[in-house]
Amino acid sequence: MEQRYDHKEKEENIEVWEDLVHIKDLVLAIIISTITTLGAYLIAPNDPPKPLIFGLIGAVVAFVICSLLINPKRSFRYVDEEGE
Amino acid sequence: MDPVLILQLIAASVIGAILYTIIGIAPGTDETAVLAPVTLVLVLSAFEPIVVLAFFISAIVAKKLTDSIPVAIAGIPGGVMSAPMVEHAMILKKHGMPEISIRKMASGSVIGTIIAVPMSLLMANLIAPLSDEITQYASQIFFGGAIFLALMTKNRWIALLSIVPFAFLIQGLRMFYWETGIVPEDQTVFTSFFLGITIGPVILKLAELLNGRIRRSLPRYGKKDIVMRRTAKTKGFPNPFKILNRKEIGTTSLSSVLGVLTFFMSPVGMTIFLGETLTSRIKDPVKKAARAISSMDGLTNAAYLSGTLIPLIAIGLPLSPTAIGPAGPLFNAPPVFTEENNIHHLLSMSDFIVATLIGSVIAISITFYITIKYAQQICAFVFRFIPHEAMLGVFFGLVVMLAYMDAGIVNIVGVIVVAIVAGFLHRKGVNYGVQFMTLYAAPWLVSLFL
Repeated sequence: MEQRYDHKEKEENIEVWEDLVHIKDLVLAIIISTITTLGAYLIAPNDPPKPLIFGLIGAVVAFVICSLLINPKRSFRYVDEEGE
Repeated sequence: MDPVLILQLIAASVIGAILYTIIGIAPGTDETAVLAPVTLVLVLSAFEPIVVLAFFISAIVAKKLTDSIPVAIAGIPGGVMSAPMVEHAMILKKHGMPEISIRKMASGSVIGTIIAVPMSLLMANLIAPLSDEITQYASQIFFGGAIFLALMTKNRWIALLSIVPFAFLIQGLRMFYWETGIVPEDQTVFTSFFLGITIGPVILKLAELLNGRIRRSLPRYGKKDIVMRRTAKTKGFPNPFKILNRKEIGTTSLSSVLGVLTFFMSPVGMTIFLGETLTSRIKDPVKKAARAISSMDGLTNAAYLSGTLIPLIAIGLPLSPTAIGPAGPLFNAPPVFTEENNIHHLLSMSDFIVATLIGSVIAISITFYITIKYAQQICAFVFRFIPHEAMLGVFFGLVVMLAYMDAGIVNIVGVIVVAIVAGFLHRKGVNYGVQFMTLYAAPWLVSLFL
């Protein structure tokens, strides 16, 4: 996972909805999700409920792509010792 | 009942439980924002109503079980409802007992669920005879609800003042759609406005980013630092009644009962109020914290289940903050569900019992077991690999799609307008409850002026 693009050099994340995001990554995620979700909805056969199911699949695909492309803005580590 | 249907119920519940175990752990996931869009898509995709209900029940039980895990481990609330628990969980964490707090919270949730399910069914039967009279005055009740919820908030005057203008915005857009023929006169755009309100705070934040001055003045952060202590694995199948001591079971049961009785109140408010009141006399900070988190978790579960089930079974109108928020699509998701034809009308009492039992039992058995055994591993996975951007992006994508479905490209713009206004009101202290009640009361409220 190290090769994923990383923004950690500078402090440039902002807080949206209780967690940190990088603006460029957020815009990227929104663009990807909108394209796959709305795109899948539009290319689906016009026979309800197929467009919605396609759209939902599009959303899942977007989620997977975004999770692979974007690095979470959290640094995470374990500590082994007991007590504070 | 048809065995194929039972299998579908089980499958839906398993999927709901697994999906919302993960979403529950992710920090900052608002209940309405994560539950409503997915439920809505399932409803509109023409799944059997009973299957959707089982999915929803399983999803809320799983989400409520798991959203307290990051609180215990890292002091980050997994959702709005777990925010009141942070302080108490931090005390246990400071004393080196995060895994005890997870176990106590999860056990509290289980007790809350066990109490809430039968009690909600009972309460619903008591209220049901009044249902005809209540539905007759639905719009007035929603308007009253908006005023009531507005008065309960901190910024009550702004909340009160926002009701009529917000109703005009919503109804104004609808009339514009009718006038231009984008939507036929007999159709009312509802779903996408509902989601617009839900995603409002995020849209407003994004809109602000377009302004360079605001963008530069926003506080910047590095990374969120999360430290976790490795804990030993627990063996065997956990028993919630052994994890909690008798006093904790007592307080948790009491708060769960009260949570069911006050189903029409704001669950967060009740959690803070009851959680603090019931534990205020305990001196030892660790015992107090343990009692507080178990009873608070029991209460949130009970409040969510009763807030969904009682209005759904008894009335068929979303007359509680939970019903109008996360469970909204079960009541109103045109064209599949409307106020006159939704899960309330389509399911019989035995359907409700079967769906609720399958949903809650599966969620408890899967999620409780996973929670107790693998809490750390799941947290580590979510914190490491699930970016917050992906979650925001997906909900944004779903909203855009549903907006387009309701009334085409124009409605995407319409929803953005609703979202920006809703986000602004939200920031000024007008909570979701007030806004949703206004959305429901809007047609009647505006007709008074015409």
